[in-house]
Amino acid sequence: MTVPATRKDLMIVNMGPHHPSMHGVLRLIVTLDGEDVINCEPVLGYLHRGMEKIAENRTIIQYLPYVTRWDYLATMFTEAITVNGPEQLGNIQVPKRASYIRAIMLELSRIASHLLWLGPFMADIGAQTPFFYIFRERELIYDLFEAVTGMRMMHNYFRIGGVAADLPHGWIDKCLDFCNYFLTVVAEYQKLITRNPIFLERVEGVGIIGGEEVINWGLSGPMLRASGIQWDLRKVDHYECYDEFDWEVQWQKEGDSLARYLVRINEMKESIKIIQQALEGIPGGPYENLEVRRFDRTKDSEWNDFEYRFISKKPSPTFELSKQELYVRVEAPKGELGIFLIGDQSIFPWRWKIRPPGFINLQILPQLVKRMKLADIMTILGSIDIIMGEVDR
Amino acid sequence: MKRNYKKAFFIFMDNQFIFKYSWKTTPKKWVHKMERSEHGNRSDTNTDYPFQLLCFLKLHTYTRVQVSIDICGVDHPSRKRRFEVVHNLLSTRYNSRIRVQTSADEVTRISPVVSPFPSAGRWEREVWDMSGVSSINHPDLRRISTDYGFEGHPLRKDLPLSGYVEVRYDDPEKRVVSEPIEMTQEFRYFDSASPWEQRSDG
Repeated sequence: MTVPATRKDLMIVNMGPHHPSMHGVLRLIVTLDGEDVINCEPVLGYLHRGMEKIAENRTIIQYLPYVTRWDYLATMFTEAITVNGPEQLGNIQVPKRASYIRAIMLELSRIASHLLWLGPFMADIGAQTPFFYIFRERELIYDLFEAVTGMRMMHNYFRIGGVAADLPHGWIDKCLDFCNYFLTVVAEYQKLITRNPIFLERVEGVGIIGGEEVINWGLSGPMLRASGIQWDLRKVDHYECYDEFDWEVQWQKEGDSLARYLVRINEMKESIKIIQQALEGIPGGPYENLEVRRFDRTKDSEWNDFEYRFISKKPSPTFELSKQELYVRVEAPKGELGIFLIGDQSIFPWRWKIRPPGFINLQILPQLVKRMKLADIMTILGSIDIIMGEVDR
Repeated sequence: MKRNYKKAFFIFMDNQFIFKYSWKTTPKKWVHKMERSEHGNRSDTNTDYPFQLLCFLKLHTYTRVQVSIDICGVDHPSRKRRFEVVHNLLSTRYNSRIRVQTSADEVTRISPVVSPFPSAGRWEREVWDMSGVSSINHPDLRRISTDYGFEGHPLRKDLPLSGYVEVRYDDPEKRVVSEPIEMTQEFRYFDSASPWEQRSDG
């Protein structure tokens, strides 16, 4: 331990579970020597709700409303992964249209999450204005979501084999309007923020993580891509229909908070590109694979055949999970969100392990804040982009 | 330079390569069973060996599994060694994933994998907190998600979903107290398995 520069003893400060910014209930026990940080210890568990144990007693369709509460700002991703697990276990094909709708919803959700990262990040640094501006766009996204799913935030939209309801008439045009508007707004944010000298002073060179360290610590998402590693699960895993769109992985080299900011802003623009391509190319067809719950299955009937019989009123969808293990993952805006699912031959899963990106990304915080000033803790914490709902589950 | 390497290797190595390669090269006492399925490859090992096996997987040139994605504990009360600790791993260089599983019972301790994978620190704390499987020489083994005075390990199958204590703020004592739980309604079990034919294949 180095000799304290200012005083004989070190001061221990508790940045308690309640925060003015939107990180959630995270407690940081910070050891300070004057303004320099010697050590910082995050204490978690204030929002632990037992999501994993609840999952062992609920069927998938009963569990879907719970999952949006893990990462409550990017809710479509949690639903997508809850539904992808059983789909892969049961080898269920998702119809093309449903896949496109899912991709559009996921990218909208990604934009929403990055917006609500940007606001509190800037508010932590000291700029209050973007915090209000992002809600303007987020309200537009909420309106779009409400038109489709019925709920602004905690949509219960994804189902095994597709989505719960089709897009309403006129939604595509509204969404295209939103995309065009959003590009102008992102340009506005960039004008306000990116070359702002105060912002650059606070953010440039703060919290640098090298490429090797990033992999060692298992970080993912924008933190990984800001340190020079072009790893994006949408490209690597070829899931949903992302291969059909023309988009690039956004990455930067420096690994400091500015790089993470730039990666997220560019990801928002890239998401708009994907949404525009998806909206223009969306095929017709069914929006849900009702095969999953049809009655009276004769072995050879085809999807669109007249002999194919299913009850038009949707029966209670019960889906038996076969006795296998599976790790399914998705590229959430915060990182790699994963579910390790062990099925029992029953409707309840035997083990549902949630791998939250925030939990892992937060581990690097004590190392990053050593020898930084007290004010840099909030910058670094903001640039890691955690949300306690998923960290604690 | 580093990025060119990755692109080249994405072409020839595939998901099965790490699996087959590590089966052939690791000493047999480390890995006693390997299983391959379309949903992921797993290898089973003994409780003393996760550290060695994971170090091998991390450092060896042809496996290079550098990222520990997830460590979780699974409880199978019907087995003699009831817990299973699963390490999910990822190799970004070869784009492959592999799972390493160990069986333990309540008193066996597992070797920690914190030194090759620093991100495992919190995962092992969580495995300890939730299932009660501890690691030898772990640098910091405390509870992570449960409450400060919590007794028991929540993800074991014998702890009921509602737990044993409930907390409330007690006005005379001016603090939060824990009391044994009071269930005003019996546990609702929705067995929604349909009497019709189930979809169960895969």
